[in-house]
Amino acid sequence: MIKIENLEKVYKTEEIETTALNGINLHVKEGEFVSIMGPSGCGKSTLLNVMGLLDKPESGSYKFVETELLTLNDRERSNFRKRNMGFVFQNFNLIDELTVFENIELPLIYNKVPAGERKKLVNEIIGRMNIVNRSSHFPQQLSGGQQQRVAVARALVTKPKLVLADEPTGNLDSTHGNEVMELLCELNETGTTIVMVTHSSHDASFSNRIINLKDGHVISEKINKGRTEELI
Amino acid sequence: MFKLNLKIALRNLWKNKGITAINVGGLAIALAAFILVMLYATYETSFDKKLPNYKNIYLVGRIYPDFKTNYTAPPLAKAIKQNFGEVEKVGVTKAAGFEFALSKDAQVFFMKNCLILDYNAAQMFDLKPSGGLTEPHADNRLMYVNNEGMKILFPHKKDNKPEIVAVGGKSSGQTATISGTILTNPQSNLTFDGVAIAKELDTYLDYGYNNYNTYIQVKPGTDIENLTSKITSLYRKELLKGETDQSTINEIKAINVFLDPLKNLHLKPKAGNDANYKVLIAISVLGFLILVIAGINFTNLSIAQATKRAKEVGVKKVMGAFRLQLTTQFLLEIFMQCFVATLLGLILAELVLPKFNSLFMVDLTIWRFENNLFWQLILVLIFITIVAGLYPSLVLSKFNPAAVLKGNFSTTKKSYWLRNGLLVMQFTIAVIFIIGLLTINSQLKYMRTQDIGFNTNQVVNIKNLTYFNTAKDFEPLREKVLKIEGVKSATVASEIPVGAENGSNSYSIEGQEANIEFLDVDFDYFETLNIKVKEGRSFSKTFNADTVNSAILNESAIAKYNLKNPIGKIIRGCNTDYKIVGVIKDFKTQGFQEAVKPTIYAMKNPCGNSKTQILLKIDEQYMTSALAALKSQWPTINKRDGENFRYEFLDELYGKLFKKQEQLQSVFFVAALITIFIAILGLYAFAKYITNGRIKEIAVRKILGANDIQIFKLINTSFFVMVIIANLIAWPLAYILIKKWLATFAYRIDIPMLPFALSAFITICLTVITVSIQAKKAVKSNPVDALKYE
Repeated sequence: MIKIENLEKVYKTEEIETTALNGINLHVKEGEFVSIMGPSGCGKSTLLNVMGLLDKPESGSYKFVETELLTLNDRERSNFRKRNMGFVFQNFNLIDELTVFENIELPLIYNKVPAGERKKLVNEIIGRMNIVNRSSHFPQQLSGGQQQRVAVARALVTKPKLVLADEPTGNLDSTHGNEVMELLCELNETGTTIVMVTHSSHDASFSNRIINLKDGHVISEKINKGRTEELI
Repeated sequence: MFKLNLKIALRNLWKNKGITAINVGGLAIALAAFILVMLYATYETSFDKKLPNYKNIYLVGRIYPDFKTNYTAPPLAKAIKQNFGEVEKVGVTKAAGFEFALSKDAQVFFMKNCLILDYNAAQMFDLKPSGGLTEPHADNRLMYVNNEGMKILFPHKKDNKPEIVAVGGKSSGQTATISGTILTNPQSNLTFDGVAIAKELDTYLDYGYNNYNTYIQVKPGTDIENLTSKITSLYRKELLKGETDQSTINEIKAINVFLDPLKNLHLKPKAGNDANYKVLIAISVLGFLILVIAGINFTNLSIAQATKRAKEVGVKKVMGAFRLQLTTQFLLEIFMQCFVATLLGLILAELVLPKFNSLFMVDLTIWRFENNLFWQLILVLIFITIVAGLYPSLVLSKFNPAAVLKGNFSTTKKSYWLRNGLLVMQFTIAVIFIIGLLTINSQLKYMRTQDIGFNTNQVVNIKNLTYFNTAKDFEPLREKVLKIEGVKSATVASEIPVGAENGSNSYSIEGQEANIEFLDVDFDYFETLNIKVKEGRSFSKTFNADTVNSAILNESAIAKYNLKNPIGKIIRGCNTDYKIVGVIKDFKTQGFQEAVKPTIYAMKNPCGNSKTQILLKIDEQYMTSALAALKSQWPTINKRDGENFRYEFLDELYGKLFKKQEQLQSVFFVAALITIFIAILGLYAFAKYITNGRIKEIAVRKILGANDIQIFKLINTSFFVMVIIANLIAWPLAYILIKKWLATFAYRIDIPMLPFALSAFITICLTVITVSIQAKKAVKSNPVDALKYE
């Protein structure tokens, strides 16, 4: 589904140039759960941002199914993103002024889903995420784990083809972290493609394939046998 | 989506209640000020604007080499009408010039300002007497009084029939017919409490009677410059008729005519006083600056709040919001706040309006659709929204989602400079206002305490209709009045020395000619006003010549003629040779704005004006009893006024000369207060954000051993520097402005240095206090709490 070729990204400040991505090649198949690992500053977050169309690389190619995404303008990128992608962040990034229901509803609004259907979709996902009795609470009234479930719900409510997760368990304790990982696995099992950046090899063990980055290069790729077998 | 955005906005505003209140409240105050300024400006600039021929009416005036005047003589009107086809109408007006009583039985109405005008002028100014404007017969004047007067004279009148009233004292036996009432318009250049309309006005008079105003109405598209020069040559030609004296001919050839359009007459007449215009400009600038300051607050706080909204922007962008959507959202949010501020501003303005009206002696109302306020407000609302909201909404919508969602986000250096720049600008304006206010105070104090050269205390000016043109005419009255206990002296003059315009004429001494002012007085004039004689003597009954051809000059006149030993010299004017018997010290009859004019004082002056202004010096102790005695005896003392004894205290009249300055002082006082208040509000909120943003830094410093004082210093330093910079920028600007303002006074203080130091002191103190209140919270907080968030 995703074909990334020769991706290069350089960060420039007044004095230094930092090469974040240095000729990355990466293919992701539909229905795959890919983890990206590597030390701090290896470029994994940059890669995820580029995949999420939040950042523009200097050169290379990024094909989603058969569409080249790097030549799109801002408006087309926004449109593509809201139709095809969902995001889960380390620090949840829920809007503090909106309730759980409203936070989850937000992407549907941007996708111009009619109000009646929005309600149905949001209630459906709230049920699935087991946060029904929290739907009128504000984010600060929830625990970290609950907040991240809301964030996952928000990422999924549009039924995206691709979910991008940036250290989704980074701010959670292990119990809550595992809950979220299991959630992602269930999701993956229903056919959603997931790309996740993580530090934790425990989290990575939930995925089909683990890609190791260092200094902007892919240095190794490992098929997670256990998981793949499970899939089969 | 709009609903959700609205929710986000409202919840956000609610969460930051304090800041929101400061933002909206500050703006509301500024808008209230601005609304008042707009109302006032509209009022002042729309005098006579509703007249059908507003754009085509001009006042005809004359320019002499050393003065300009709006007064012309009646024959000029006739000549213009006969000679120039482009002039459609010529109207003549004249102020009655004195106050008189109209009475019916026990009811008395004092007509203070009766306007006499011809039918053409009444048409031009669209006068609306009851029963409609009709053309009077040639030998008959139609007299109308305002509604108030009619109500006093005929409280039960229902019909429109003319009524007969007595004029002046009852024993004087004069009557007049009042044809009805007339609407008065405070927004007109013609002000009156009653009018007398004639078919034609005093056309039998010659060119010497320059006591009239001539208005012309021209055809649309007339070349005014050309017409002006044509009227000038016509006027010269008329004056030159039968003149043979070469010097007079030369003088006439130097006279020009000007045409002053109606729209300029109220605010900036060619001949006359443009103080209203200056006040209008001053308060317009003030109103605008206050609005700018409030706008700056808005921008500043919105940018400061940007950090808090960054996550929202990031999330929305990730979900596919376009930048334009976000920009619009933030603009709408700011618009909402501005809208609420406008409503509050209207309420505030309504509350303050009565005070404003009494200060400026106007009658403004907000709730009148014709006054343009509503569309002006809508424009201001849009303007403020764009000015205050555009930059923050662009900054906010520009955030890079990848960066802000990671949480490692800080507002850029660029907006740091902008924010500080705006803060400095706010304080610069505040400092200028403080310096302005303090300087105005000093000048007014100077004006109130400075020796004006004469004494207005215990001097009473009595309203009078009788002419006392010779000393003999006045003597019986003086004798009777002096018999009353407490009356120390009595005199009569052609004008009172409190801002009245004296006449002027050409006088020569030893062949040296100059145009100087003249004032016709009587015995005891200088004594009554306590004016000091510098050389020679005052007028005295022991010198018979004094009632005929003695003159006293003031110091300025002596200086103008450059006389060494003036006493005994002859000064010639108005076909009379006067012998100078004394020189008096200058006294400031016009207040402090105009220099004392060279003036000649004489008891007999063939070219002079009638002596009607009675002045009495009364002992303070006997003031009440003396006034009561005067009132009861007045019918026998002065038949024409009879029972209508009215008086004013000279010191109160003199105080009115300061009215404009006092208005300015009040306006500056309020403006300075508002600007400082808004600026401090803004600073307070701004300091809060800055401090919040530095909580981590402060925590780290405290852990490393910084004490409270050091932290206070740390937070205060940047604000302190900004206020100093604001003062440094403001000082030269304020210096230039107050120098310009002081230059409008002939008698003024030197530019004082104290206001500059004081404004710095005030702004620095307020800043340090405001910032420290915020800093205290950061200093007192537990550093561990701040660092735990990592």
